[in-house]
Amino acid sequence: MVWWRRAVNWIRIPCSHAHRLLSERMDRPIEGGERWRLWLHLRICEMCSRFERQIDLMRSAVRRLGQ
Amino acid sequence: MGHLVADPATAVDEVAVEASSPESSLQGSLAALRPTLLAIARMQLRNETWAEDVVSETFVAALEGSRKFAGQSQLKTWVVGILKHKIIDQFRRTKREVSSDAQLEAAQVETFDELFAADGHRLNSPLDWGDPEESLSRTQFFEVLQMCVDKLPAGLARIFMMREWLDYETDEICKELGITSTNCFVMLFRARMRLRECLEMQWFGGAAQ
Repeated sequence: MVWWRRAVNWIRIPCSHAHRLLSERMDRPIEGGERWRLWLHLRICEMCSRFERQIDLMRSAVRRLGQ
Repeated sequence: MGHLVADPATAVDEVAVEASSPESSLQGSLAALRPTLLAIARMQLRNETWAEDVVSETFVAALEGSRKFAGQSQLKTWVVGILKHKIIDQFRRTKREVSSDAQLEAAQVETFDELFAADGHRLNSPLDWGDPEESLSRTQFFEVLQMCVDKLPAGLARIFMMREWLDYETDEICKELGITSTNCFVMLFRARMRLRECLEMQWFGGAAQ
């Protein structure tokens, strides 16, 4: 495999992985390569960006319960 | 013993004072909060008796500590703060049941095949939920949220509420429930996925609008 293809495969993550990282980011710090790959994925994937906004909204909503 | 025989006029005054005392008006305000507090307690305890118990304990603590409250913050915020502590106490009292539900749930595997293709790409796009403030400003939205949390299995609902409402750190959750941190992240992910799906169907998909 040529070097650039290997690099692309390392950089690209599927949505299923990005979804998991977006959720985990709410519970633990995401560092290094994972953080960078997630950042890049979100730049190009509207579906995962939407998911990110949705889980943020859920968090704000639950925090407002009883207020 | 003459001092025990009250002057009728004074006795009437005392009754009147008691009826409008801070304690009795606090009791009235607490009674009005009861349905909300019960619903919140049920969401995470998932047990009717426990929910009733923690709400009663909250009221007792609120009445005992009413001097500390003294109107300095909003009554509801103050009482909800007490409720949080009582729910945490309840989790500790019934630790065995609570952690066995969590461990049962930790053993489940959920792959969300309906959402992701074999290569991990998303098959259908999540809907655009629009302006978050619009939803957050509506009481009905919170009723749907509550219903969706109630639909989660007990183990998932509890861990989700511990993290998001009781504001536990994940390592504290692991310790309380006796699960690994990996299990904890996976369970929180599953809870969020299911809750997202339910909200999208019941609220954002147009069913409630």
